[in-house]
Amino acid sequence: MSAIDFSDPATIAFLTDALTAASVAGLEISAPSGQLRIVISGAGEAKIGSNRSVQPGSVSPVLVRAPLAGYFCVAHLSGSAEASSLPRAICATEVLGFIRVGPVLLPVSAGRSGTVTRLLAEVDAMVGYGAPLFEIEVQS
Amino acid sequence: MMPGSLDKAPPPYKRFDTVLIANRGEIAVRIQRACHELGLKTVAVCSEADREAPYGRTADSFLCIGPSNAAKSYLNRDALLLAARLTGAGAIHPGYGFLSENADFAKAVEEAGLVFIGPDASSIATMGDKISAKRAMMAAGVPCVPGPDTALPDDPAAVERIALEIGYPVIIKAAGGGGGRGMRVVQEAARLHEAIALTREEARQAFGSPSLYIEKFLQHPRHIEIQVLCDIHGNAVWLGHRDCSMQRRHQKVVEEAPAPGIAPEVIGPVGLACVQACRQVGYRGVGTFEFLYEDGAFYFIEMNTRLQVEHPVTEMTSGLDIVQSQIKAAQGNPLEMSQADVQCEGHSFECRINAEDPDNFLPSAGVISDLVLPEGDGVRVDTHIHAGYKVSPYYDSLIGKLIVHAPTRAEAMTKMREALSRTRIGGIATNLSLVRALFEDEAFGRGETDIHYLEQWLKQRGAQ
Repeated sequence: MSAIDFSDPATIAFLTDALTAASVAGLEISAPSGQLRIVISGAGEAKIGSNRSVQPGSVSPVLVRAPLAGYFCVAHLSGSAEASSLPRAICATEVLGFIRVGPVLLPVSAGRSGTVTRLLAEVDAMVGYGAPLFEIEVQS
Repeated sequence: MMPGSLDKAPPPYKRFDTVLIANRGEIAVRIQRACHELGLKTVAVCSEADREAPYGRTADSFLCIGPSNAAKSYLNRDALLLAARLTGAGAIHPGYGFLSENADFAKAVEEAGLVFIGPDASSIATMGDKISAKRAMMAAGVPCVPGPDTALPDDPAAVERIALEIGYPVIIKAAGGGGGRGMRVVQEAARLHEAIALTREEARQAFGSPSLYIEKFLQHPRHIEIQVLCDIHGNAVWLGHRDCSMQRRHQKVVEEAPAPGIAPEVIGPVGLACVQACRQVGYRGVGTFEFLYEDGAFYFIEMNTRLQVEHPVTEMTSGLDIVQSQIKAAQGNPLEMSQADVQCEGHSFECRINAEDPDNFLPSAGVISDLVLPEGDGVRVDTHIHAGYKVSPYYDSLIGKLIVHAPTRAEAMTKMREALSRTRIGGIATNLSLVRALFEDEAFGRGETDIHYLEQWLKQRGAQ
């Protein structure tokens, strides 16, 4: 079986049509030969990005999201002072904030090492499941 | 007011001013409207797939409770209770589907100190089990399908005797089943034991209980429903009847009220028996008794302990807001009418508009590019969609309900034809062409078609 050529315009068009029809927001494929990213941007238009080789050392933003609904706190002890000192380097296990439900605080870990660049939720506001809380730039 | 209802002290009951709507789509919009008209605040919840839902913008609070998978969001009772706690909701309205008939959820809501807008957990449990429901109905004098009100025994000879007494064809059903699943028709004695073995295994896997029961299988019945409304003070009324025979694979496509061709003196005693049954089980809120109707006789099949998708046709004929009445009953208010006050007028139809291919019925997801909905006197559309709305592949394909009301059935059919011709939904496939064709069908126009009619009609259309 021959490998699919993801740089082939016909393949890209087929995948774009399939994603649009299925109402899927986007797709990213990484292969030894390169990377293909299709982002459906609404009203049937798609943004397509393709590069033949992955640049080592490139930086990509990652969102840290709320694991459940509750009230968002930046940090248990240091309050919003941490938020004002962005950007800052963090490790994967570092707790960036908490989701508070009554007396319970659920820690929100970074999940990966990198640099926290932005605080995306309002402190002490109610957030839903999956709400973006922080943006981290990860070195790939 | 019912006799004796005023001399009873009303039970202590919790008031609430905020309702969490534990559902999505058109019914979330419908419940939100009823709450706001009653001056209540609303909390809309959503899964990740429904983040852009329009009713989120009109709710007093809007919270995402989980991923797109319904098991982790709309069916996640802990997430719903957490959302109620975070938003200060005093009551939860379950809508239909999802957790609306889940006795454990109703119990958990009450144990959390909230009001479940529906019957209590024990009523749901009694009516959810087909055998106990049948027993309760027989005790209240509601006519049932011939067959025992007990589970099938294990002894093969005893089962054979029961089937012979009922007379073939018979139908084997899962006691915990519903929605057309977990049932098998047996035409002759030779097939009986194989059918029982298959259905028992299906029941065990799908409903967690291998309990089965057996009934007479009716050949050409219609599906007739009786809507009831009860308060916590022992008052209950029935709000007329509906015909929901136009079904495909047990899924209703068109409903109407009243059921055509059934004389008031035939259905009246059945309605009163339903009311009596509600009083006997201490039922509260809204509910629907479903019957098969054949050769002038009614046979109880099940009770739905929740709001029905097709409640609007009863609202159109009775002039009553069923959702508001349900909420008022949950607040502990006595019913505002007696049976004599219930006067149904005219005729109403509802078409379910589904995002699905009209030929193969496969769900159709995508963005609605163009939307024109009908308006006018006696025309109502219950929907959550708008131009640009993204129909998700994760949930039921129902995207709206088109409802009409007119003085007579013939006039209501004409009004529905006009309304359908003015409806346009672009960007996705819908069943609009199918329901348009159905409203041109002669036999449907005459009325009184049975529950097999639509499938036969579809087969004939496919063959042409």
